[in-house]
Amino acid sequence: MSTQQIAVIGAGILGVRITRELLGPRAFGESPNRSITIVTRRNDRLNLLRNQFGSSVSMLIDQSGDAQLPDEITTVIIARAAGEQYKIAQQQLSLGRDVITTTDDPVEVQRLLKLHASATSVGKTLVVGASFAPGLSCLLASHASTLLDRVDEIHIARHGAAGPACAAQRLRALRGTATDWRDGSWVKRPGFSGRELCWFPDPIGARDCYRAALADPLLLVPVFPKIERVTARLAATRRDRVLAPFPVWLPAPSEGGIGALRVELRGERAGEREWVVYGALDRPAVAAAATAAVVALWFGSAQLLTSSSVSPGATGLAGLGATSELLAELALRGVRAAVFEGSQGS
Amino acid sequence: MRGLQRAVLALGLGLLVSVVVRFLGGDATVPSTGGWRELSGPDLR
Repeated sequence: MSTQQIAVIGAGILGVRITRELLGPRAFGESPNRSITIVTRRNDRLNLLRNQFGSSVSMLIDQSGDAQLPDEITTVIIARAAGEQYKIAQQQLSLGRDVITTTDDPVEVQRLLKLHASATSVGKTLVVGASFAPGLSCLLASHASTLLDRVDEIHIARHGAAGPACAAQRLRALRGTATDWRDGSWVKRPGFSGRELCWFPDPIGARDCYRAALADPLLLVPVFPKIERVTARLAATRRDRVLAPFPVWLPAPSEGGIGALRVELRGERAGEREWVVYGALDRPAVAAAATAAVVALWFGSAQLLTSSSVSPGATGLAGLGATSELLAELALRGVRAAVFEGSQGS
Repeated sequence: MRGLQRAVLALGLGLLVSVVVRFLGGDATVPSTGGWRELSGPDLR
């Protein structure tokens, strides 16, 4: 079995966690052969990385931001801040590598999806938004859709943020303009509008959720072409809402607390209106890292080699066609999903 | 003049009370039935 060569570009909280996930002894029921390179822009991170990973990971410094990776690299995971991933993805794709991005910036996600033709022309796959939401949220929506005969609506809500870059992106999203899919067209709505009480898995429980500039609908609509409504909301407090217009003086913590996801699908099953609610509870950085790493390992897994290969192009996780395998591997790594069973409308 | 002062005072008090009520909020209604079940092996096939 050949060695899968993976590069992780970005050595922040997410990049380091992705690398740790990639180093796990087993993936998809096998002990894969892989070689990992981590790329950082900061000299001061090198010592920390050496202490953490020793010689198990190759390290590269990339101060120019124009990562020159060894030719043998076949899969690239981009773990830079949202908004900084497009250029690297485009460059790595043109060099003939499969690329996994972790961005949750809707503008960048739109631009990345437009690289579909380029990805197809080089026969490679560009995975867009392999993180907590989008990412895990897309996998949950894709899996929940198998429980319905017809899916009419998907509503996603997220609570929490990972590191400082993620917290900044969360604030930008709440201050920005939401893009909802409604009856066959995109509808722009202001952030912090459309308050809805959403129930997340315990111990998060009920949280007020507001519209925000999120990327989940952009990635889900192409996978569910007949869908009527797709929305995404972020949990926020009333204090967040009041303080939103003002500059943030206090820095975000290096890692946020426990986050949660709620994915609700409405549709039809056996001729009756039905709904399915999935949830997940984890630290957003941990779940995002596991999701990105599992997708990268899936590219190199023997399962993939024995079945039909992944189709080239740019897609979100729901369009990869490996929802169950990816969720099962995530569950083995401690990222567990749950289904709500009980009264409707909870 | 006195009437205007009283009206302004009443409006101010009303605004203050409404802001306090708005930000304190109330407890949400907990779902009476149902709960979360972790997805396990058979669910993920």
